[in-house]
Amino acid sequence: MVSGSALSAAAKQAEQLRKDGNIYFKKDRFGAAIDAYTEAITLCPNVPVYWTNRALCHRRRNEWLKVEEDCRRAIQLDYSSVKAHYMLGLALLQKQELDEGVKELQKALDLGRGANPKGYMVDEIWQELAKAKYMLWEHASSKRSWELQSLKEACETALREKHFLDDSQPEGFLDEAGISHMKQLEVLRQVFRKAGEADIPCEVPDYLCCKITLDIFCDPVITPSGVTYERAVILDHLQKVGKFDPITREQLDQSQLVPNLAIKEAVQAYLDKHGWAYKLD
Amino acid sequence: MIDEIWQELAKAKYLQWEHASSKRSWELKSLKEACETALKEKHFLDDSHPGSFSDEAIISHMKQLEVLSRVFKEAGEADIPGEVPDYLCCKITLDILRDPVITPSGVTYERTVILEHLQKVGKFDPVTREPLDHSQLVPNLAIKEAVQAYLDGHGWAYNTN
Repeated sequence: MVSGSALSAAAKQAEQLRKDGNIYFKKDRFGAAIDAYTEAITLCPNVPVYWTNRALCHRRRNEWLKVEEDCRRAIQLDYSSVKAHYMLGLALLQKQELDEGVKELQKALDLGRGANPKGYMVDEIWQELAKAKYMLWEHASSKRSWELQSLKEACETALREKHFLDDSQPEGFLDEAGISHMKQLEVLRQVFRKAGEADIPCEVPDYLCCKITLDIFCDPVITPSGVTYERAVILDHLQKVGKFDPITREQLDQSQLVPNLAIKEAVQAYLDKHGWAYKLD
Repeated sequence: MIDEIWQELAKAKYLQWEHASSKRSWELKSLKEACETALKEKHFLDDSHPGSFSDEAIISHMKQLEVLSRVFKEAGEADIPGEVPDYLCCKITLDILRDPVITPSGVTYERTVILEHLQKVGKFDPVTREPLDHSQLVPNLAIKEAVQAYLDGHGWAYNTN
C-alpha cells in the first residue's frame, strides 16, 4: 500500500522525466527520450501522454509495431486522444491494414476537428487520410477494372460466336441481323464504359472546387456575394492581399464567412464515389 | 409568371427524359438478355465433355452472370428514379432546390420557403433557431450549379410531385 505523499512524489518525478524526454525529443535524441518516457511510465503507467510521447519517438525511428503497442495502451487510457488514434492509424497502414488504418485516421480527424478545426494537426491528419483513401481506391478500382475488362471480352466473344453460329450468311451480305450485331457490340462498349466511369480520373466539377486554387474543397466557406472558397485560402487572401471578395471585389471581412455545409456534404459524396479525387497534388 | 414558365419547362424536360430513357432501358434490357444467353450457351458448349462440369467452371460462370447483372445495373442507374441527395434539397420542404439560399448558420433553404417562414412563423433559422433576417440570406451559387448538374444527369428529378 503506497502512501499519499509517495504517490504524488512519483507523479512529480514522472512529470520531470516527461519534460526531460521532451527536451531529448526536440534535439532528435530519440533513444534518450524513449528511456525517459519509459521511466515515467514505470512510475505512473496510467498517464496517456507518456505513452503517446513514447509512440512519437518510435514513429521517428520507424518502429511501427512499438508505435501500435503504445498507441493502443494510450487509447485504453484515453479514448479521445487525437495523437494516439492518428499514430495508430499510420502504424496500421504500414502493416497494409488499410481499412482499419483509415478508420483510426478518420477517428483522429473527427476528434481533432471537434477540438480545434484550425489546428496544425488537423491538416496533417487530413493529408495522411487522403493518401490512405487514395490507396484504398487504387486497390479496389484495379480489381474492378480487371473484372470489367475480362467480362467485356467474354461477352464480345460469346456474342460473336453466337452470331456466327446463328446467322451464317455469304460474305458481303449486310443484312438486318448483321446490323443488329454491330449495334449490339456498340451498345456493349457503351455499357461497359458507363459501368467503369466512376473509376476513371477526370475533372472534378467546378462547383466542388475553390474559385482561387481550383482544388477540390476541404472546408468550403461562402461569402455574402455568394461565392464559395477554401477557408484557409480566403483567410490568407484577406490577411495578405486585402479585405475584399477576390471575385466580386466587394468588401469582405472574415467574420462574414459562412461554412457551406451543403457543399461540404456534396464533396464527401463525390469522394465516396470517385476515390481518385483524394489525390492531392 | 416565372413560376409558371418554370413549371412548364420542368414538365417538358421530364418528358424529354422519359422518352430518351425508355429507349435506353429497352436497349439495355435486350442486350443484357442477349449477353446472358450467349454466355450460357458458350458455357454449355465449352464444358460439355464428360467429367468436366467442374465446380470451378460453374462457379466462374455464376460469377460472370453476377458481375454482368451488376454492370447492367450500374449502366442504367442514372435512369432509375431514386432519392435526390440530401444536400441538394431544401431542409424544410425536402424538395430539390431551385433557388437555394444559405443562412449565417450555414443551412441552405429554398428562397421562397424561408422567406415565408420568416414572415409567417418568426425571424429565426428553422433548423438552428438562431436569429435570422431576410437580408442575411445569401444565394448558394455553388449548390445551384450542383442541382443543375444533377438534373442534367437524372432527368426523372424534374418531376416535382
